[in-house]
Amino acid sequence: MNKRIPRHLPDDALIAQAKSGDNLAFTELVRRYEETVYRFSYKICRDKEKASETLQDTFVNVFRKLKSFDGKSKFSTWLYTIVTNNCLMKHRKRKSDELEESLEAYDHARHTEDTVQRPELVSSEHSPADIVIGKELRDILETAMLKLPEDYRVVFVMRDIEGRSSEETAGVLGLSNEATKSRLRRARAFLRDQLHPYISAHPELVR
Amino acid sequence: MKCDKVYLHICDHLDEEITSPRCRQIKQHLEECPNCRAYLDSLKKTIVLYKAMPEPSVPAGTHRELFKTISSLTLSPGRARAKKRRCTRKS
Repeated sequence: MNKRIPRHLPDDALIAQAKSGDNLAFTELVRRYEETVYRFSYKICRDKEKASETLQDTFVNVFRKLKSFDGKSKFSTWLYTIVTNNCLMKHRKRKSDELEESLEAYDHARHTEDTVQRPELVSSEHSPADIVIGKELRDILETAMLKLPEDYRVVFVMRDIEGRSSEETAGVLGLSNEATKSRLRRARAFLRDQLHPYISAHPELVR
Repeated sequence: MKCDKVYLHICDHLDEEITSPRCRQIKQHLEECPNCRAYLDSLKKTIVLYKAMPEPSVPAGTHRELFKTISSLTLSPGRARAKKRRCTRKS
């Protein structure tokens, strides 16, 4: 018997079928979310090999735990939680406590000298399509991101790159909304400071 | 509102409702303070640059490995035994 899963079947129905043990539905679910999971993993791990490992681990976990998915959160949020746990648990090679402490200083630090001269930099919306990320800039962006502890990275990626809500991000990390906001504030300030020398030397970069 | 207070809330301001009382205060401060304006601008640019970074797609080898894993997971125990028998017979 050649059973097929319609490609347009809504996620809810697909998840219900997969939960009831329909393996074709599960395979279709993997096909639908493969890219999402890989890209999110990459944004957190910043390494293609680790992202590939996390992709595998995540769907093995999904297969084993799908029955416990109660549908109260979005399926993608549930996936992000699994990816995040895999990244944080498996790939954390260094304790980030020290940097975390130094990030707390971002709540008290004041921006000073380097911003004073540039009131003309105030701009309207930036269009990412206009930006070409060359190798030098890419290296700077990567280096700065790698310095950021992974749990802060998750907050920055979810909120500012993926455009997810603060509540959803808090849910993924098991944090309060306030703690999530505070991490976002520190992560943004940290990355901004890392990038500032390059940005101020290249005012034409983003208009 | 003073600069150091604005600094604490400037990031929230990026996502906050433009009409909230705190946001109105921040907006007013930003209109008067070039330092804070420039700071907010460089925060926005930082986010824009990260958003503009290219995103990789699943490499072909990773995709193949994933679906190999999935098919071994989804193979029912009966089918898995039958497959094993077929493989044993062939060898």
